[in-house]
Amino acid sequence: MRLECNGLKYTYPESEVAVIDNLCFSMAGPGFNAVFGPSGVGKTSLAKLLVSQKDRPDSRILAPGMETILYSYNQERLPGWSSTGSHLDRVCPAGKKKLKQDLIEIFRLAPVLEARFAQLSMGQQNRMNLIRYLLQEFDLLIMDESLANVDEALRETIILAVKAFFPGKMFLYISHNLMEVAKFCKEILVLSEPVKQKGSFMVKGRDYCQGYTLDKKSFDATMLEIMDAF
Amino acid sequence: MLFRRIYQFLIVYCLCLVGLLGIKQVLGLSDYVIPGVTLIHSTFGRVSGGYFLDVLNTLSVTIFGQIISIAMAFTVGILGRKSSWAGSFIKVMAYNIQAYPIVALAPIIFILLGDGFISRLLIASMICYFPLLLSVLGVMAVPVKDIEHFYIATGRMRWQLEVKIRAFENLSKLTTVIAGSATLAMAGTIVAEFIAANAGIGYSIRIALYQSDLAGILTALFYIGIIISVYQGMLETLGELVKTKWSAPKGGELL
Repeated sequence: MRLECNGLKYTYPESEVAVIDNLCFSMAGPGFNAVFGPSGVGKTSLAKLLVSQKDRPDSRILAPGMETILYSYNQERLPGWSSTGSHLDRVCPAGKKKLKQDLIEIFRLAPVLEARFAQLSMGQQNRMNLIRYLLQEFDLLIMDESLANVDEALRETIILAVKAFFPGKMFLYISHNLMEVAKFCKEILVLSEPVKQKGSFMVKGRDYCQGYTLDKKSFDATMLEIMDAF
Repeated sequence: MLFRRIYQFLIVYCLCLVGLLGIKQVLGLSDYVIPGVTLIHSTFGRVSGGYFLDVLNTLSVTIFGQIISIAMAFTVGILGRKSSWAGSFIKVMAYNIQAYPIVALAPIIFILLGDGFISRLLIASMICYFPLLLSVLGVMAVPVKDIEHFYIATGRMRWQLEVKIRAFENLSKLTTVIAGSATLAMAGTIVAEFIAANAGIGYSIRIALYQSDLAGILTALFYIGIIISVYQGMLETLGELVKTKWSAPKGGELL
Protein backbone atom coordinates (compact mmCIF):
# COMPACT_ATOMS: atom_id res chain seq x y z
CA MET A 1 0.00 0.00 0.00
CA ARG A 2 1.58 3.24 -1.16
CA LEU A 3 0.47 6.66 -2.30
CA GLU A 4 2.91 8.54 -4.47
CA CYS A 5 2.85 11.67 -6.62
CA ASN A 6 5.66 12.55 -9.02
CA GLY A 7 5.64 16.02 -10.52
CA LEU A 8 1.87 16.43 -10.24
CA LYS A 9 0.57 19.62 -11.75
CA TYR A 10 -2.96 20.99 -11.93
CA THR A 11 -4.34 24.22 -13.31
CA TYR A 12 -8.02 25.11 -13.15
CA PRO A 13 -9.68 25.60 -16.54
CA GLU A 14 -9.48 29.24 -17.64
CA SER A 15 -6.74 29.94 -15.07
CA GLU A 16 -3.11 30.60 -15.88
CA VAL A 17 -1.70 29.87 -12.43
CA ALA A 18 -1.23 26.23 -11.42
CA VAL A 19 -2.85 25.46 -8.08
CA ILE A 20 -0.65 22.37 -7.76
CA ASP A 21 2.78 22.66 -9.35
CA ASN A 22 5.34 19.86 -9.51
CA LEU A 23 4.09 18.13 -6.38
CA CYS A 24 6.18 15.13 -5.28
CA PHE A 25 5.55 13.04 -2.20
CA SER A 26 5.23 9.45 -1.07
CA MET A 27 3.28 7.89 1.79
CA ALA A 28 3.81 4.22 2.45
CA GLY A 29 1.76 1.66 4.33
CA PRO A 30 -1.49 2.07 6.24
CA GLY A 31 -1.83 4.92 8.69
CA PHE A 32 -3.45 8.22 9.53
CA ASN A 33 -1.74 10.82 7.35
CA ALA A 34 -2.53 14.44 6.70
CA VAL A 35 -2.44 17.20 4.13
CA PHE A 36 -1.89 20.52 5.84
CA GLY A 37 -1.63 24.07 4.59
CA PRO A 38 -3.40 27.41 4.33
CA SER A 39 -6.61 27.84 2.34
CA GLY A 40 -6.27 27.84 -1.42
CA VAL A 41 -3.04 25.90 -1.73
CA GLY A 42 -4.73 22.98 -3.48
CA LYS A 43 -5.52 20.50 -0.70
CA THR A 44 -9.02 19.74 -1.99
CA SER A 45 -7.82 19.80 -5.60
CA LEU A 46 -5.18 17.21 -4.70
CA ALA A 47 -7.84 15.05 -3.00
CA LYS A 48 -10.06 15.20 -6.08
CA LEU A 49 -7.16 14.32 -8.37
CA LEU A 50 -6.33 11.30 -6.20
CA VAL A 51 -9.94 10.09 -6.32
CA SER A 52 -10.37 10.64 -10.04
CA GLN A 53 -7.20 8.78 -11.00
CA LYS A 54 -9.12 5.45 -11.04
CA ASP A 55 -11.41 6.73 -13.81
CA ARG A 56 -8.83 8.98 -15.49
CA PRO A 57 -5.45 7.39 -14.82
CA ASP A 58 -2.63 9.87 -14.39
CA SER A 59 0.90 8.47 -14.63
CA ARG A 60 2.07 11.04 -12.06
CA ILE A 61 -0.13 9.49 -9.37
CA LEU A 62 0.71 5.99 -8.15
CA ALA A 63 -1.49 4.11 -5.70
CA PRO A 64 -0.43 0.48 -5.78
CA GLY A 65 -2.45 -1.78 -3.50
CA MET A 66 -5.27 0.71 -3.26
CA GLU A 67 -8.32 -0.41 -5.18
CA THR A 68 -10.91 1.79 -3.52
CA ILE A 69 -10.28 5.43 -2.73
CA LEU A 70 -13.15 7.33 -1.13
CA TYR A 71 -13.39 11.07 -0.64
CA SER A 72 -15.60 12.58 2.06
CA TYR A 73 -16.01 16.29 2.64
CA ASN A 74 -17.72 18.45 5.20
CA GLN A 75 -20.53 19.88 3.11
CA GLU A 76 -22.08 16.57 2.18
CA ARG A 77 -25.69 15.93 3.06
CA LEU A 78 -27.87 12.89 3.59
CA PRO A 79 -31.24 12.83 1.83
CA GLY A 80 -33.96 14.39 3.96
CA TRP A 81 -36.86 12.01 3.33
CA SER A 82 -36.13 9.68 6.22
CA SER A 83 -34.26 9.64 9.51
CA THR A 84 -30.47 9.58 9.63
CA GLY A 85 -30.64 6.25 11.44
CA SER A 86 -32.54 4.57 8.63
CA HIS A 87 -30.11 6.05 6.07
CA LEU A 88 -27.22 4.53 8.00
CA ASP A 89 -29.04 1.17 8.12
CA ARG A 90 -29.53 1.26 4.37
CA VAL A 91 -25.87 1.92 3.54
CA CYS A 92 -24.42 -0.40 6.18
CA PRO A 93 -23.14 -3.59 4.54
CA ALA A 94 -24.15 -6.91 6.06
CA GLY A 95 -21.62 -7.94 8.67
CA LYS A 96 -20.80 -4.40 9.75
CA LYS A 97 -23.75 -3.89 12.10
CA LYS A 98 -21.53 -4.15 15.17
CA LEU A 99 -19.05 -1.64 13.73
CA LYS A 100 -21.93 0.72 12.99
CA GLN A 101 -23.20 0.49 16.58
CA ASP A 102 -19.71 1.08 17.98
CA LEU A 103 -19.11 4.08 15.73
CA ILE A 104 -22.49 5.57 16.64
CA GLU A 105 -21.60 5.29 20.31
CA ILE A 106 -18.09 6.75 19.92
CA PHE A 107 -19.31 9.54 17.62
CA ARG A 108 -22.08 10.27 20.18
CA LEU A 109 -24.87 10.14 17.64
CA ALA A 110 -27.27 7.67 19.28
CA PRO A 111 -29.67 10.40 20.51
CA VAL A 112 -30.15 11.85 17.01
CA LEU A 113 -30.72 8.69 14.96
CA GLU A 114 -34.46 9.40 14.72
CA ALA A 115 -33.88 12.96 13.49
CA ARG A 116 -33.69 14.12 9.89
CA PHE A 117 -30.31 15.32 8.63
CA ALA A 118 -31.45 18.96 8.44
CA GLN A 119 -32.29 18.88 12.15
CA LEU A 120 -28.74 18.03 13.21
CA SER A 121 -26.10 20.58 14.17
CA MET A 122 -23.26 21.05 11.69
CA GLY A 123 -20.90 18.98 13.82
CA GLN A 124 -23.44 16.16 14.08
CA GLN A 125 -24.00 16.30 10.32
CA ASN A 126 -20.27 15.91 9.67
CA ARG A 127 -19.97 13.01 12.12
CA MET A 128 -23.00 11.28 10.60
CA ASN A 129 -21.54 11.68 7.14
CA LEU A 130 -18.16 10.29 8.23
CA ILE A 131 -19.74 7.20 9.81
CA ARG A 132 -21.35 6.11 6.55
CA TYR A 133 -17.99 6.34 4.77
CA LEU A 134 -16.24 4.35 7.50
CA LEU A 135 -18.81 1.58 7.01
CA GLN A 136 -17.85 1.13 3.35
CA GLU A 137 -15.05 -0.95 1.89
CA PHE A 138 -12.04 1.29 1.19
CA ASP A 139 -8.27 1.26 1.08
CA LEU A 140 -7.80 5.02 1.30
CA LEU A 141 -10.31 7.41 2.82
CA ILE A 142 -9.71 11.10 2.26
CA MET A 143 -11.33 13.14 5.02
CA ASP A 144 -11.58 16.71 3.76
CA GLU A 145 -12.34 18.69 6.92
CA SER A 146 -14.70 15.85 7.81
CA LEU A 147 -14.59 16.77 11.49
CA ALA A 148 -15.18 20.50 11.06
CA ASN A 149 -17.52 22.01 13.68
CA VAL A 150 -16.88 19.11 16.07
CA ASP A 151 -15.54 20.09 19.50
CA GLU A 152 -11.87 19.42 20.16
CA ALA A 153 -12.28 16.70 22.79
CA LEU A 154 -14.70 14.67 20.68
CA ARG A 155 -12.52 15.15 17.59
CA GLU A 156 -9.61 13.61 19.47
CA THR A 157 -11.79 10.68 20.62
CA ILE A 158 -12.99 10.11 17.05
CA ILE A 159 -9.53 10.25 15.48
CA LEU A 160 -8.09 7.84 18.07
CA ALA A 161 -11.05 5.48 17.55
CA VAL A 162 -10.68 5.58 13.76
CA LYS A 163 -6.99 4.72 14.13
CA ALA A 164 -7.81 1.84 16.46
CA PHE A 165 -10.68 0.44 14.38
CA PHE A 166 -8.95 0.64 10.99
CA PRO A 167 -5.26 -0.18 11.49
CA GLY A 168 -4.93 -1.65 7.99
CA LYS A 169 -6.34 1.35 6.08
CA MET A 170 -4.78 4.57 4.90
CA PHE A 171 -6.38 7.91 5.77
CA LEU A 172 -5.60 11.30 4.36
CA TYR A 173 -6.89 13.91 6.77
CA ILE A 174 -7.22 17.43 5.41
CA SER A 175 -7.33 19.87 8.30
CA HIS A 176 -6.35 23.35 9.37
CA ASN A 177 -5.73 22.29 12.96
CA LEU A 178 -1.95 22.31 13.49
CA MET A 179 -1.96 20.64 16.92
CA GLU A 180 -4.29 17.87 15.86
CA VAL A 181 -2.32 17.09 12.73
CA ALA A 182 1.02 17.14 14.58
CA LYS A 183 -0.32 14.95 17.39
CA PHE A 184 -2.19 12.19 15.59
CA CYS A 185 -0.86 11.93 12.05
CA LYS A 186 1.90 9.64 10.87
CA GLU A 187 3.03 11.59 7.82
CA ILE A 188 2.06 15.16 7.06
CA LEU A 189 2.23 16.66 3.60
CA VAL A 190 2.61 20.40 4.14
CA LEU A 191 1.65 22.59 1.20
CA SER A 192 2.74 26.20 1.30
CA GLU A 193 1.37 29.22 -0.48
CA PRO A 194 2.56 29.44 -4.12
CA VAL A 195 3.77 33.04 -3.60
CA LYS A 196 6.30 31.83 -1.02
CA GLN A 197 7.68 29.36 -3.58
CA LYS A 198 8.57 26.88 -0.86
CA GLY A 199 6.86 23.95 -2.54
CA SER A 200 5.76 20.99 -0.43
CA PHE A 201 7.35 19.17 2.49
CA MET A 202 6.81 15.87 4.23
CA VAL A 203 6.91 16.07 8.02
CA LYS A 204 6.74 13.11 10.43
CA GLY A 205 3.90 13.55 12.93
CA ARG A 206 3.79 12.12 16.45
CA ASP A 207 1.20 9.48 15.39
CA TYR A 208 -0.21 9.09 18.91
CA CYS A 209 -2.68 6.28 19.51
CA GLN A 210 -5.19 5.52 22.29
CA GLY A 211 -3.69 5.81 25.80
CA TYR A 212 -0.85 8.03 24.66
CA THR A 213 1.33 10.18 26.85
CA LEU A 214 2.23 13.50 25.35
CA ASP A 215 5.94 14.15 24.97
CA LYS A 216 5.76 17.93 25.00
CA LYS A 217 9.28 18.52 23.69
CA SER A 218 9.00 16.35 20.58
CA PHE A 219 5.43 17.55 20.00
CA ASP A 220 6.58 21.18 20.02
CA ALA A 221 9.41 20.28 17.67
CA THR A 222 6.96 18.68 15.22
CA MET A 223 4.70 21.71 15.32
CA LEU A 224 7.65 24.02 14.70
CA GLU A 225 8.74 21.87 11.79
CA ILE A 226 5.28 22.11 10.23
CA MET A 227 5.09 25.86 10.81
CA ASP A 228 8.50 26.28 9.29
CA ALA A 229 7.44 24.31 6.22
CA PHE A 230 4.37 26.46 5.54
CA MET B 1 -54.15 29.03 0.89
CA LEU B 2 -57.42 27.94 -0.73
CA PHE B 3 -59.42 30.84 0.69
CA ARG B 4 -56.65 33.33 -0.05
CA ARG B 5 -56.80 32.34 -3.73
CA ILE B 6 -60.61 32.74 -3.80
CA TYR B 7 -60.72 36.16 -2.17
CA GLN B 8 -57.79 37.36 -4.28
CA PHE B 9 -59.77 36.38 -7.38
CA LEU B 10 -62.94 38.04 -6.05
CA ILE B 11 -61.05 41.30 -5.41
CA VAL B 12 -59.59 41.31 -8.96
CA TYR B 13 -62.94 40.37 -10.54
CA CYS B 14 -64.85 43.07 -8.63
CA LEU B 15 -62.23 45.71 -9.49
CA CYS B 16 -62.48 44.83 -13.20
CA LEU B 17 -66.28 44.88 -13.07
CA VAL B 18 -66.27 48.26 -11.33
CA GLY B 19 -63.79 49.50 -13.96
CA LEU B 20 -66.06 48.35 -16.80
CA LEU B 21 -69.12 49.96 -15.23
CA GLY B 22 -67.08 53.14 -14.69
CA ILE B 23 -66.14 53.25 -18.39
CA LYS B 24 -69.80 52.71 -19.28
CA GLN B 25 -70.84 55.63 -17.05
CA VAL B 26 -68.08 57.99 -18.17
CA LEU B 27 -68.56 57.32 -21.90
CA GLY B 28 -72.33 56.89 -21.68
CA LEU B 29 -72.27 53.51 -23.44
CA SER B 30 -75.42 51.50 -24.08
CA ASP B 31 -76.24 48.13 -22.47
CA TYR B 32 -75.45 46.53 -25.83
CA VAL B 33 -71.75 47.49 -25.51
CA ILE B 34 -71.33 47.16 -21.73
CA PRO B 35 -74.29 45.76 -19.81
CA GLY B 36 -75.55 47.54 -16.70
CA VAL B 37 -75.77 46.09 -13.20
CA THR B 38 -79.39 45.00 -13.70
CA LEU B 39 -78.67 43.16 -16.94
CA ILE B 40 -75.57 41.50 -15.47
CA HIS B 41 -77.62 40.42 -12.46
CA SER B 42 -80.47 39.00 -14.51
CA THR B 43 -78.08 37.23 -16.96
CA PHE B 44 -76.18 35.81 -14.00
CA GLY B 45 -79.39 34.34 -12.61
CA ARG B 46 -80.44 32.98 -16.02
CA VAL B 47 -77.20 31.28 -17.14
CA SER B 48 -75.49 30.48 -13.84
CA GLY B 49 -76.65 26.86 -13.56
CA GLY B 50 -75.69 25.94 -17.12
CA TYR B 51 -72.37 27.78 -17.04
CA PHE B 52 -71.40 26.22 -13.72
CA LEU B 53 -71.87 22.74 -15.20
CA ASP B 54 -70.00 23.83 -18.34
CA VAL B 55 -67.02 24.97 -16.21
CA LEU B 56 -67.07 21.64 -14.35
CA ASN B 57 -67.09 19.88 -17.74
CA THR B 58 -64.07 21.97 -18.80
CA LEU B 59 -62.38 21.33 -15.46
CA SER B 60 -62.73 17.55 -15.86
CA VAL B 61 -60.92 17.75 -19.23
CA THR B 62 -58.35 20.11 -17.65
CA ILE B 63 -57.57 17.70 -14.81
CA PHE B 64 -57.31 14.74 -17.16
CA GLY B 65 -55.12 16.73 -19.56
CA GLN B 66 -52.90 17.95 -16.73
CA ILE B 67 -52.41 14.42 -15.41
CA ILE B 68 -51.33 13.28 -18.89
CA SER B 69 -48.98 16.29 -19.18
CA ILE B 70 -47.39 15.63 -15.79
CA ALA B 71 -46.86 11.95 -16.62
CA MET B 72 -45.37 12.81 -20.02
CA ALA B 73 -43.20 15.65 -18.66
CA PHE B 74 -41.74 13.43 -15.93
CA THR B 75 -41.15 10.54 -18.34
CA VAL B 76 -39.37 12.72 -20.91
CA GLY B 77 -37.66 14.82 -18.19
CA ILE B 78 -36.22 11.69 -16.55
CA LEU B 79 -35.11 10.28 -19.91
CA GLY B 80 -33.59 13.61 -20.94
CA ARG B 81 -31.77 14.36 -17.67
CA LYS B 82 -28.50 12.75 -18.77
CA SER B 83 -25.81 14.70 -20.56
CA SER B 84 -25.60 11.88 -23.10
CA TRP B 85 -26.40 12.30 -26.81
CA ALA B 86 -29.99 11.07 -26.31
CA GLY B 87 -30.46 13.37 -23.31
CA SER B 88 -29.18 16.40 -25.19
CA PHE B 89 -31.35 15.52 -28.20
CA ILE B 90 -34.49 15.31 -26.05
CA LYS B 91 -33.65 18.63 -24.37
CA VAL B 92 -33.00 20.47 -27.64
CA MET B 93 -36.15 18.98 -29.19
CA ALA B 94 -38.24 20.04 -26.18
CA TYR B 95 -36.85 23.60 -26.24
CA ASN B 96 -37.48 23.93 -29.97
CA ILE B 97 -40.97 22.45 -30.04
CA GLN B 98 -42.19 24.50 -27.07
CA ALA B 99 -41.31 27.68 -28.97
CA TYR B 100 -44.03 26.81 -31.50
CA PRO B 101 -47.50 28.16 -30.59
CA ILE B 102 -49.65 25.11 -29.86
CA VAL B 103 -52.86 27.09 -30.49
CA ALA B 104 -51.74 27.42 -34.11
CA LEU B 105 -51.80 23.64 -34.36
CA ALA B 106 -55.30 23.37 -32.90
CA PRO B 107 -57.15 23.63 -36.26
CA ILE B 108 -55.08 20.71 -37.61
CA ILE B 109 -56.06 18.62 -34.59
CA PHE B 110 -59.73 19.47 -35.12
CA ILE B 111 -59.51 18.63 -38.82
CA LEU B 112 -57.89 15.29 -38.08
CA LEU B 113 -59.80 14.28 -34.94
CA GLY B 114 -62.99 16.34 -35.21
CA ASP B 115 -64.92 18.04 -32.38
CA GLY B 116 -65.11 16.36 -29.03
CA PHE B 117 -63.36 15.11 -25.97
CA ILE B 118 -60.11 13.83 -27.55
CA SER B 119 -59.34 17.10 -29.34
CA ARG B 120 -59.96 19.17 -26.19
CA LEU B 121 -57.87 16.80 -24.13
CA LEU B 122 -55.00 16.81 -26.61
CA ILE B 123 -54.83 20.61 -26.86
CA ALA B 124 -55.15 21.04 -23.08
CA SER B 125 -52.32 18.62 -22.41
CA MET B 126 -50.11 20.04 -25.17
CA ILE B 127 -50.48 23.61 -23.89
CA CYS B 128 -49.56 22.70 -20.32
CA TYR B 129 -47.02 19.98 -21.23
CA PHE B 130 -44.10 22.03 -22.54
CA PRO B 131 -43.72 24.52 -19.66
CA LEU B 132 -43.96 21.54 -17.31
CA LEU B 133 -41.37 19.63 -19.31
CA LEU B 134 -38.88 22.51 -19.25
CA SER B 135 -39.20 22.76 -15.47
CA VAL B 136 -38.88 19.01 -14.95
CA LEU B 137 -35.88 18.87 -17.29
CA GLY B 138 -34.32 21.80 -15.43
CA VAL B 139 -34.75 19.98 -12.12
CA MET B 140 -33.74 16.51 -13.27
CA ALA B 141 -30.68 17.58 -15.25
CA VAL B 142 -28.96 19.37 -12.37
CA PRO B 143 -27.06 17.06 -9.99
CA VAL B 144 -27.37 17.58 -6.24
CA LYS B 145 -23.64 16.97 -5.72
CA ASP B 146 -23.61 17.25 -1.91
CA ILE B 147 -26.01 14.33 -1.65
CA GLU B 148 -25.25 12.30 -4.76
CA HIS B 149 -21.45 12.17 -4.19
CA PHE B 150 -21.61 9.41 -1.58
CA TYR B 151 -23.88 7.17 -3.65
CA ILE B 152 -21.79 7.62 -6.80
CA ALA B 153 -18.49 7.08 -4.93
CA THR B 154 -19.74 3.89 -3.30
CA GLY B 155 -21.42 2.52 -6.44
CA ARG B 156 -24.91 2.71 -4.92
CA MET B 157 -26.40 5.20 -7.33
CA ARG B 158 -29.40 3.96 -9.35
CA TRP B 159 -31.53 6.06 -11.67
CA GLN B 160 -34.51 5.76 -9.31
CA LEU B 161 -32.44 7.12 -6.41
CA GLU B 162 -31.05 9.92 -8.57
CA VAL B 163 -34.58 10.98 -9.60
CA LYS B 164 -35.79 10.72 -6.01
CA ILE B 165 -32.95 12.91 -4.69
CA ARG B 166 -33.44 15.58 -7.36
CA ALA B 167 -37.24 15.58 -7.01
CA PHE B 168 -37.01 15.81 -3.21
CA GLU B 169 -34.49 18.63 -3.28
CA ASN B 170 -36.69 20.60 -5.71
CA LEU B 171 -40.06 19.70 -4.25
CA SER B 172 -41.15 23.32 -3.77
CA LYS B 173 -40.27 24.17 -7.36
CA LEU B 174 -42.09 21.12 -8.73
CA THR B 175 -45.27 21.62 -6.71
CA THR B 176 -45.37 25.31 -7.68
CA VAL B 177 -44.95 24.45 -11.35
CA ILE B 178 -47.63 21.74 -11.21
CA ALA B 179 -50.08 24.08 -9.46
CA GLY B 180 -49.24 26.84 -11.94
CA SER B 181 -49.73 24.55 -14.92
CA ALA B 182 -53.39 24.09 -13.92
CA THR B 183 -54.10 27.57 -15.33
CA LEU B 184 -52.37 26.63 -18.56
CA ALA B 185 -54.35 23.40 -18.87
CA MET B 186 -57.59 25.28 -18.22
CA ALA B 187 -56.67 27.93 -20.78
CA GLY B 188 -55.81 25.20 -23.30
CA THR B 189 -59.14 23.46 -22.79
CA ILE B 190 -61.11 26.70 -23.11
CA VAL B 191 -59.21 27.65 -26.28
CA ALA B 192 -59.92 24.21 -27.74
CA GLU B 193 -63.62 24.51 -26.86
CA PHE B 194 -63.73 28.05 -28.21
CA ILE B 195 -62.23 27.05 -31.55
CA ALA B 196 -64.27 24.04 -32.45
CA ALA B 197 -65.61 21.87 -29.63
CA ASN B 198 -69.27 21.23 -28.88
CA ALA B 199 -69.19 21.34 -25.08
CA GLY B 200 -67.59 23.15 -22.16
CA ILE B 201 -67.40 26.77 -21.05
CA GLY B 202 -65.29 27.76 -24.08
CA TYR B 203 -68.13 26.65 -26.34
CA SER B 204 -70.62 28.66 -24.22
CA ILE B 205 -68.38 31.74 -24.42
CA ARG B 206 -68.29 31.38 -28.22
CA ILE B 207 -72.12 31.34 -28.34
CA ALA B 208 -72.27 34.35 -25.98
CA LEU B 209 -69.74 36.16 -28.19
CA TYR B 210 -71.80 35.56 -31.35
CA GLN B 211 -74.81 36.99 -29.48
CA SER B 212 -72.71 39.94 -28.23
CA ASP B 213 -73.75 38.89 -24.73
CA LEU B 214 -71.05 40.52 -22.57
CA ALA B 215 -73.06 39.84 -19.42
CA GLY B 216 -72.98 36.12 -20.27
CA ILE B 217 -69.23 36.29 -20.88
CA LEU B 218 -68.71 38.07 -17.53
CA THR B 219 -70.71 35.32 -15.81
CA ALA B 220 -68.58 32.66 -17.55
CA LEU B 221 -65.39 34.45 -16.48
CA PHE B 222 -66.66 34.58 -12.91
CA TYR B 223 -67.20 30.81 -12.78
CA ILE B 224 -63.93 30.05 -14.57
CA GLY B 225 -62.05 32.22 -12.06
CA ILE B 226 -63.73 30.74 -9.01
CA ILE B 227 -63.32 27.13 -10.15
CA ILE B 228 -59.66 27.53 -11.23
CA SER B 229 -58.89 29.32 -7.94
CA VAL B 230 -60.39 26.43 -5.99
CA TYR B 231 -58.52 23.87 -8.14
CA GLN B 232 -55.18 25.69 -7.84
CA GLY B 233 -55.68 26.21 -4.12
CA MET B 234 -56.34 22.48 -3.70
CA LEU B 235 -53.22 21.62 -5.69
CA GLU B 236 -51.11 23.99 -3.58
CA THR B 237 -52.54 22.57 -0.36
CA LEU B 238 -51.82 19.05 -1.65
CA GLY B 239 -48.25 20.13 -2.51
CA GLU B 240 -47.76 21.51 1.01
CA LEU B 241 -49.09 18.27 2.48
CA VAL B 242 -46.69 16.20 0.37
CA LYS B 243 -43.78 18.44 1.36
CA THR B 244 -44.66 18.24 5.05
CA LYS B 245 -45.20 14.48 4.99
CA TRP B 246 -42.05 13.76 3.03
CA SER B 247 -39.54 16.10 4.61
CA ALA B 248 -40.55 16.57 8.24
CA PRO B 249 -40.24 13.86 10.88
CA LYS B 250 -43.30 12.51 12.63
CA GLY B 251 -44.49 14.90 15.29
CA GLY B 252 -42.05 17.64 14.37
CA GLU B 253 -41.27 20.24 11.82
CA LEU B 254 -38.16 21.57 10.15
CA LEU B 255 -36.88 25.08 10.81
